[in-house]
Amino acid sequence: MAGMGRYLVRRAITFIPTVFGVLFITFTIAFLMPADPARVWAGGQKASPQVVEKIRKMYHLDEPFWAQFYYFTRAILTNSIYSPVTHNLVSEEFMRRIPITLNLAIMAMFMIVAMGIPMGIVAALKKDTAVDNAVRILALIGYSTPSFWIAFIFMWVFYNELGWMTLVGLPRPSEMITGIYILDALLLGEWKIFIEINRRLLLPAFILAFILVGGLARYVRNTMLDVLSADFILFAQAKGLPPFRLWRHALKNSLIPVVTVVFFMFGGLLSGAIITETVFGIPGLGVLYFAAISNLDIPVIVLSTLYAGLIVVIISLIVDILYALIDPRVRL
Amino acid sequence: MSEKEVILSIRDLYVNFYTYAGVVRAINGVDLDIYKGEVFGLVGETGCGKSVTSRAITRLITPPGRIEKGEIFYKRNSEVIDLLKIPDEEIRKIRGDEISYIFQDPTSSLDPLYTSGFQIAETMVVHDKAEWNEAWKKAVELLKETLIPDPESRVKNYPHELSGGMRQRVVISIALSNDPKILIADEPTTNVDVTVQAELMDLLKELQRKKGTTIILITHHMGLIAELTERVGVMYAGNLVEIAKVEELFENPLHPYTQGLMAAVPNPLQKIERLIPIKGSVPNLIYPPPGCRFHPRCPKAMPICKEKRPPRIEVSPGHFVECWLYVSEEEWEGKNNE
Repeated sequence: MAGMGRYLVRRAITFIPTVFGVLFITFTIAFLMPADPARVWAGGQKASPQVVEKIRKMYHLDEPFWAQFYYFTRAILTNSIYSPVTHNLVSEEFMRRIPITLNLAIMAMFMIVAMGIPMGIVAALKKDTAVDNAVRILALIGYSTPSFWIAFIFMWVFYNELGWMTLVGLPRPSEMITGIYILDALLLGEWKIFIEINRRLLLPAFILAFILVGGLARYVRNTMLDVLSADFILFAQAKGLPPFRLWRHALKNSLIPVVTVVFFMFGGLLSGAIITETVFGIPGLGVLYFAAISNLDIPVIVLSTLYAGLIVVIISLIVDILYALIDPRVRL
Repeated sequence: MSEKEVILSIRDLYVNFYTYAGVVRAINGVDLDIYKGEVFGLVGETGCGKSVTSRAITRLITPPGRIEKGEIFYKRNSEVIDLLKIPDEEIRKIRGDEISYIFQDPTSSLDPLYTSGFQIAETMVVHDKAEWNEAWKKAVELLKETLIPDPESRVKNYPHELSGGMRQRVVISIALSNDPKILIADEPTTNVDVTVQAELMDLLKELQRKKGTTIILITHHMGLIAELTERVGVMYAGNLVEIAKVEELFENPLHPYTQGLMAAVPNPLQKIERLIPIKGSVPNLIYPPPGCRFHPRCPKAMPICKEKRPPRIEVSPGHFVECWLYVSEEEWEGKNNE
C-alpha cells in the first residue's frame, strides 16, 4: 500500500480531463438543441420580445459557442451558476437535494446487497433447481417491470389499504452528523424520526432495490459458479479443507467482481432516480432533473450530467482501491 | 510377484457424468490394486478417464459427475475401509492427510488471494497437525525440502509472484505437508517447462525413496513412466485395458491399444524408426461402442469384440489384459454362455 498516496494524486489529476470532457460534450449538446432557451425562460410564446432579448444578453446567448462555453466554465469555477428558471444558486440546490437522494440510495443499496448476495449464493448452490429459476424469474421481472407501475401498486396497497406508509413530508433528525437523515436519526437515537423516515422512504427504496436486486443475484450466482468450478477449489477440497474454509476461499474470490457491480449500482442510484422520486414526490435530485428537462433549464441539465460523471469517476476510483485491498495481484 | 501388501484396491468402479448432451459413461468398471510403497503409472489418451479414476479414490467427483457403483478399499494400518462408503467428514479427513494430490496446472491449483505459506500451513491446520505458528514454520521447511530458494521470503509470496516451477513446488509442498501414505500426481509436470520437469521428478523419486510413499503417477509421457514407475496401467475410454510391470509392458505389450500406443509415441527403451498413429479417434462416451470399447479402431478386431466386453485375463503373473485375443477357446465358450 506504499504507492497509495502517489496513486491517489495521479488519479486525481486524470479526473480533470475526464470531467472537463463531460462538461464540454454536455454543453455542446445543449448548445445544439433546436430550441430557444431565452424564449422558454422568459415565459414561452407570450413573452415580450424585449424580455427575451434582455435574457439573451444576460446569459450571453447571443455570443458565439466558445464565448458561451468560457462564461459557463468560469461561472462553475466561481460557483455563480443560477438557474434561469428558479433563480436558485444551482450548487445550493444540489446540496439540499443530495442528502435525500443519498439517503434513498443507501437504503436501496442496503436492501439490494442484503437480498441479492444471499439469493445469488443460494441460486449457485441450487443450480438449475426451482430456487435458481425463481431467482432468474425475479431478475427478469425486476428488469422488465416499469417502476411507476409497481410504485402505484405499492402505494395503493401500503398507503391506501394498509396505511403503513406516508406520502408527504420528510422528517429530519434534530442534528446533522453525517448529513444522511436515516443514519443521523439512528446515531442520535431518535427512534420516532427513524420510523417516520422509513415510512416515507422504505417503499421507494424497495422499488429501486426490486429493479436491481435480481440482476445482482444473477451476477453473484454466475461469479460464484465460475469460482466454484475453478481448479483451486477442487484442490482445496483435495487438501481436505472443511466446508467453511472452502467457503472462505470461494467467497473471497467471488467478491472481487461483485464489488464492481455493487459500487456501480450505487453510483447509478446516487445520480438520482427520476421516475421513482417523481412518483413519490421525494425532493431529491431526480425531481430536479425532471423539472430541469421540462423547463429547458440548461445550466441545471449540464451540471446534473457533470455531477453524474463525477460520481462515476469517484466510484471507479473507490473500486480500484478496494480491488487493491482484496486482490494481491492488483497493485496501485 | 512377491506377496506385497495391497494398500488400495479399486473394484468395479463406474463413474458417469450427467450432461445436457447425455450420460457420459466415463469410467466403466475399473479394477485395480495398488501396492504399498510402489510407484504406479497410469497412462492413456486425454479423456480416457485417468484423472477421473484418481479423483474418484477420495470421491472428488463433483456434479454433474457421479460415482455410480464400486468399492475402493483402503488399508489403513490393520483395518480396511471402503472409501466410497464412509461418511463425508471421514473422507475429508483422509484427503490431504493420508491421500493427497498434485494437480496438473499449478497456476490454477493455488488460490490467487492467499500467500503460498498460508496455503501450505492451512493444510496442516485443518488436519490438526499443527497450530498456525508452527504450521508456518513447517511451511518454510517444506519449501526448503522442495528446493525453493530463499523459502523464508517465498512463504510470504502470492502465487502470481512465483514462477510456474515454483508454484508447482508449492503445490507439492501442500501435498507433502502431512506425510501422505498415497500421493496421486496427476500430470504433475505437464504445465512446467522441461528443465523444471526433470527437477520435479527427481524430487518425487527422492521422496519415494526416503519416505516410502505410495505414488500413483498419471501421465501420457512414456519417458516418465519408464524412468519412475514399477507397474503401469493403460486406460482406454474408461476401461483399464492392461496392467503390467513397466519392463514387461514396454517389451511385450499385449493389448492392441497398448501396442498402438507404443508405436505412436517415442519409446524410451528402444529405438523406433517411425511413429505410427492409431487410426480413428477416442469414442464419444455418451454412446460408447458395444462390446470392447476399442474394437472400432482395433486392427485385430473379431466378431465377438463387437458383442461382448472382454474379461480380464492374467496372461503371465502380474500381467493383466482385457482383450478377447488372449481368451482361449474353452474359456471363450464358457464366457459366451455366462
